[in-house]
Amino acid sequence: MRLKNRHVLGWLEAAPLALVLLAFLIAPIVMIVIVSFWGATEFSIYPAFQFDNYEFLFGSPVTYRVFWATLKYAFITWALTLVIGFTAAYFLAFHVRSLGMQVALFLVCTIPFWTSNIIRMISWIPFLGRNGIANQTLISWGVIDEPLEWLLYSDFSVLLAFVHLYTLFMVVPIFNTMMRIDKALLEAARDNGASGFQTLVHVILPLTKPGIMIGTIFVVTLVMGDFITVRFMSGSQSANVGRLISNDIALLQYPSAAATAVVLLATVMIVIAILLRFVNIRKEL
Amino acid sequence: MERRPRSFYVLAAFFGLFVLFLYGPILTIGILSFQGPQGGLTFPMNGVSLHWFRDLFEQQAVGDIWGAFRRSLALGLMVMVTTVVVSVMAGLAFRKRFAGSALLFYAAITSLVIPSILISLGVGLIFNQLGLKIHWATSGFGSQLTWTLPFGLLIMFAVFNRFDKSYEEAARDQGATSWQTIRHVVLPIIAPSLIGVALFGFTLSYDEFARTLLTAGSYNTLPLEIFGMTTNVTTPVIYALGTLTTLFSFAIIAAFLLGLWIMGKRRARLGSDAGKA
Amino acid sequence: MAKPKVGYSRRSLLKAGGAAVAASALPAPMLWAQETKDIVLRQFGTGVSNLNDVANKVKEDLGFTLEMTALDSDSVTQRAATQPDSFDIADIEYWICKKVWPTGNLQAMDVSRIANYDKIVGIFKSGKLNEDSEIAQGTAPHTVGFIPEPGATTFADEQTNWMTLIPTIYNADTLGIRPDLINRPIESWAELLNPEFQGKASILDISSIGIMDMAMVCEAMGEIQYGDKGNMTREEIDATMAIFTEAKQNGQFRAFWKTFDESVNLMASGEVVIQSMWSPAITAVKSRGIPCVYQPLKEGYRSWGGGIGLSQSLSGMELDAAYDYINWYLSGWVGGYLMRQGYYSAVPETSKEFMSENEWGYWFEGKEATGEITSPTGDVLAQAGEVRDGGSFEERMGAVACWNAVMDENQYMVRKWNEFIAA
Repeated sequence: MRLKNRHVLGWLEAAPLALVLLAFLIAPIVMIVIVSFWGATEFSIYPAFQFDNYEFLFGSPVTYRVFWATLKYAFITWALTLVIGFTAAYFLAFHVRSLGMQVALFLVCTIPFWTSNIIRMISWIPFLGRNGIANQTLISWGVIDEPLEWLLYSDFSVLLAFVHLYTLFMVVPIFNTMMRIDKALLEAARDNGASGFQTLVHVILPLTKPGIMIGTIFVVTLVMGDFITVRFMSGSQSANVGRLISNDIALLQYPSAAATAVVLLATVMIVIAILLRFVNIRKEL
Repeated sequence: MERRPRSFYVLAAFFGLFVLFLYGPILTIGILSFQGPQGGLTFPMNGVSLHWFRDLFEQQAVGDIWGAFRRSLALGLMVMVTTVVVSVMAGLAFRKRFAGSALLFYAAITSLVIPSILISLGVGLIFNQLGLKIHWATSGFGSQLTWTLPFGLLIMFAVFNRFDKSYEEAARDQGATSWQTIRHVVLPIIAPSLIGVALFGFTLSYDEFARTLLTAGSYNTLPLEIFGMTTNVTTPVIYALGTLTTLFSFAIIAAFLLGLWIMGKRRARLGSDAGKA
Repeated sequence: MAKPKVGYSRRSLLKAGGAAVAASALPAPMLWAQETKDIVLRQFGTGVSNLNDVANKVKEDLGFTLEMTALDSDSVTQRAATQPDSFDIADIEYWICKKVWPTGNLQAMDVSRIANYDKIVGIFKSGKLNEDSEIAQGTAPHTVGFIPEPGATTFADEQTNWMTLIPTIYNADTLGIRPDLINRPIESWAELLNPEFQGKASILDISSIGIMDMAMVCEAMGEIQYGDKGNMTREEIDATMAIFTEAKQNGQFRAFWKTFDESVNLMASGEVVIQSMWSPAITAVKSRGIPCVYQPLKEGYRSWGGGIGLSQSLSGMELDAAYDYINWYLSGWVGGYLMRQGYYSAVPETSKEFMSENEWGYWFEGKEATGEITSPTGDVLAQAGEVRDGGSFEERMGAVACWNAVMDENQYMVRKWNEFIAA
């Protein structure tokens, strides 16, 4: 009786979440899968069961290039945000001594996150352009004679924007796990003669792994699903899967967009499934 | 005081550069928003003025910034309230380890990691095929919840992981019903975290772009309007808008922090009263 | 029950003295004044003509409210095709109309209710500017401008009493250049792919328009002879894309742009010195004191036209108000406003009354400006003595080589375009 009661109450409390996810997550995914088999005319879509969209998708060499580019962006961004995020969190957690200072500096890191992503992104453009601040400064210092072309509308600028937008998603969970490390462990390591570096590698890094994994999940999925950063920062010259989808949507080719979306979703879910093997999110928060 | 090791200074310098990196672009647009009336979107500055801020308050050639702002504010508040209520309920539910909880948990994780444009596309398609009108307050609202609810849920996990069950047990021992326990014991204890959930709910919604893109209908939310402006506006008015929205975000955070602080004060005072009694 | 009757009397009034009423932009007759002020019409379209100034003037002259939403070309197509309930008035281009009309989301307009119909330029009716003009390739407006009868989803070959879009705005497009950074004359579309401009060229990323620019370039280079640029075969599409993909991979392009303002920023910041561009973008660059020329090219112009379409769901008083709006639109004020930005009005003669002699001479007749030329918002665009790039209306619109187009192989082209952008 009591057992049953627990389940019923649990279901009641979970019902609103379940309903929202059913209506706005599960149903849309199902819809996308269905529509990926449909056909399209210039202006409308019609129910069908055909594999044309997938055939075209897998038949085009561009698809593979674009998926490869997407994974490349995700991997490089992940590596950079990890190094930067870990170092920043490490400094905050272990080198800043008062809690008040830690919180203050942590807030300093998070504040830019509350500004519109689009505005933060486009604000790089006057900075990196051919006649932008970066080039003018470098020229006035005599470091270069000609403006550097690769600063803007290149893979460099895309990655820079990604790192800028998403490092925070690495800092927060890593900082969170680091703060939960018992300081006595560090002292124990030091007492046993471990150098600072040894402590870092053998004590802190393993204990921080859950935070790193959570950050990784955020960064990888955000980069893989992005379609707007790549467009703005590469001057539409590069593409990732998200752009492929949004281009199709813009041109009303919904079934084709849906097919690409299904493949993208599968890719993301595989990556996440692998990552989740390394961490139990519910326990580690 | 122990002397700082050399690594401290290296790391401090690194951290300083990191902060500079985070703030650099915001400063750039902050400066550029004070362009003179003839200035463009890029350097050099063409005089210094408040022209573009004034311009922001006048009607633009195209679009409707303030309407978009009002809609975003309303939507943000709707999402905020819903997120808090639904996440707390779900957080309580997950503590009961009900049948099917693992499934729901994975659905929430999926909701978090799914590329936003898929939600946009899927919801748009469903509304379209069902012949429903998409509107920011219906389809847009629902789509944003798929982004804010998992966040809220994760925060609730973090909160309940740290939650001392003995309080509840004490309440129950003294004969409180489960509702009374929640109302008078659990909720007051987790209240500060709820402010965090609310803050997340509001700002994630207020900034949300991709999930609202195909689900907002006739009227733009602020991020969509800003996106439109990047394609329709060639003047620094967009930077003025950026500067103002940044300041607005700061104000929101400040308000929440103030709320936390007041709450902490009150709690401290009540706590001491309890001691006296 | 009274409404249709009132509507009818309004209609006959318009028929009788429509031109006079509309041209002098009198407020709507008192009979209507009470109810019209509650009418709200939702219009959407590109930023080109969805101007709040127009909505304000409508409120002033006609009394009802016009809500404007500005979007990019692709979003406009999308909304017109998929969200018929989200608008009352669609401000779209003719090539978009070709895509959207078969959905049945728009309703045909009764020509007899259009007061200034007779004064609309020939391009939109017979396809010919003058008696002896040749009709350009592509989706020329007159080919999608009429349908045989209300409710038809196919287009008529000739003028009928039922129009799909009421033409409002159009122009002849060409390449924009930065003469100060190029320092030599540019005469051909082929220059876009000249290795001299490696990393400093741009093209727009809107497939239906971009493909035509590409075709102009490939044809000018002598690489491809098209049967009909406006209706390419798959082989022609492949060949065109191959040439541009190679150029892209060689780093010819700095960026692609999707909206008018991106093109302005690219040009003004010096990132790009030669690119496909729209006329007001040139004036926007110029108004910042940066030299920029809308270069007439020997192969001719790529032209486009836009018009207003009515949602299928409009009826009763709203429909009557929409007709009032259209008649007002063609009566001159908007035309003058748009012409002073460098576009052309579909009924130039009514616009003339709303422009100064200097403005009319500069923008329409291709004459030297006799004084400063300013935009509707007051920016100085040209000094006395300057002449409009490309000259007069006849010179520019008479040299149109093709129109923005939707081809039979459009879906194939779109996929190829997507590949080109991703390549």
